[in-house]
Amino acid sequence: MRQIILKGRTIVEGHCKAEALVSTKPISFLGGVDPDNGKIIEKNHDLHGECIKGKALCFPHGHGSTVGSYVLYSLAKKKLAPKVIVNQTADPVVVVGAIIADIPMIDQIDIRQIKTGDTVEVDAYTGVIKILKRKENKSSCI
Amino acid sequence: MYLTKEEERIYDGEHGWANQICMKILVRLGELFHATRLIPIESAHVSGVSYKTLGDAPGKFLETLANADGKVRVKATLNPQSFDPEYLGRKLPEHIREKQLNILRQFEKMGFTQSLTCTPYYLEKPKTGSHLAWAESSAVVYTNSILGAWTNREGGPSALAAAIIGKTPNYGMHKAENRQPNILVNVKTSLKNEAEFGALGIYLGKILKDKIPIIWGLKNASEDELKQLGAALATTGMVNMFYHNIQLERRTMEKISVEANDLKRTVESLSTAAKSKPDLVFIGCPHCSLTEIRRIAKLVDGKKVDAGTEFWICTSRYVKERSGNSVERIEKSGGYVLTGMCTIVSWTETLGIKTIITNSAKTAYYAPTLNKAETVFAPLKQCLKTALEE
Repeated sequence: MRQIILKGRTIVEGHCKAEALVSTKPISFLGGVDPDNGKIIEKNHDLHGECIKGKALCFPHGHGSTVGSYVLYSLAKKKLAPKVIVNQTADPVVVVGAIIADIPMIDQIDIRQIKTGDTVEVDAYTGVIKILKRKENKSSCI
Repeated sequence: MYLTKEEERIYDGEHGWANQICMKILVRLGELFHATRLIPIESAHVSGVSYKTLGDAPGKFLETLANADGKVRVKATLNPQSFDPEYLGRKLPEHIREKQLNILRQFEKMGFTQSLTCTPYYLEKPKTGSHLAWAESSAVVYTNSILGAWTNREGGPSALAAAIIGKTPNYGMHKAENRQPNILVNVKTSLKNEAEFGALGIYLGKILKDKIPIIWGLKNASEDELKQLGAALATTGMVNMFYHNIQLERRTMEKISVEANDLKRTVESLSTAAKSKPDLVFIGCPHCSLTEIRRIAKLVDGKKVDAGTEFWICTSRYVKERSGNSVERIEKSGGYVLTGMCTIVSWTETLGIKTIITNSAKTAYYAPTLNKAETVFAPLKQCLKTALEE
């Protein structure tokens, strides 16, 4: 396939390769993600039941309480955090969470171009995401 | 964003991890909102203190920050915790008290004043025109609108970072051009009590979103009534400030009006309970002022609280200590003046509270979800009538 390269903005520096988990809905880390297993528990969420651990988590932006930043930190300490965060529009809750948890993060990416299961490479120093491999079927976590 | 040499050194980690992480938070947020530099703040006020709302996630972060020599550079106050140690603390299990205490210990280690109130402006009024970094939305609206000090609506972590750096990025409400009113609200009915001011806030918050209104029709409103209005505006909206006593009118300005019926419907919507008798009568969201405590004392004087009813009045320790014999009079009637806690972030479910009557629109709005409680929303006098034996 022709490699797709998307260019955004650095929020937290870093570099990694991971499997994408893509949502069209905002995520609230407080109340929306189980801090004990990293699964999305928000009702009616398109990623309900999916685990964010080790993923390139792509979603439009965060919402909800600013305590959500601490939830990201806590997930990272338990090794349940996503490997990298890719947002359409960064918001304060996720930005602060990614900084304190030291999770690479970029924003200003058209996340509709990325599909769940794609293998992506994120260079969060330059704000670039490359889709290395497309995958059709959803893969589950753990 | 422009950083001074000293700020750059902090950003690069020369002053340790705690300072570096806090500087990173401020710089990234500043960039997000197109700030050009950091400005010094007079004080910071941090939310996210109650173990009930925080859960276990932040404890470790606060501990790491405190151990990495995170120290506040400016006067820094704290929002309420999840119980008061003297009365409710005794009814709660050890592990809850210990977890809450640990959070407070970390904040204390970093140099925070144990103010434990959502009304830090009663402890020390910020100077007019000064820049602050305050979380706690009700205090943000109050300070921008009534006290004339300037603050964005911070989140818990960003206010914490600002406290430790002593600065905040210069965007949003820190710029005069962003504090201009952009909508005119004409309230066409006269508000009779503090509960109606709260209801007005709930109604307007949904419509205004993050606009800055001039609100007409609030003649002779007291600061306590405006406190209820501001707290409610921030509950349903992203409103950071309002004007209430200026006559400025621009032809281009959007205009809306509020009729008696809008208010009536909002008041009704804030009560979810059927006719069951409330097990908690709660006054003090936001925390009571001295004036409010004195008024309550006068109204309950010589009367007795119903045996099966809890009657809580929440305020800061600072205000309680200054309220003279009012506290005694309230306690003699069977009420409790509880300090340092907030009912909506407290353990009401654990304590078996299922129905709450309150004069606070903010509490009435949040209690069904945060406390899984039914609510009755009514003005102070009616709340007291419910509390007291006839």
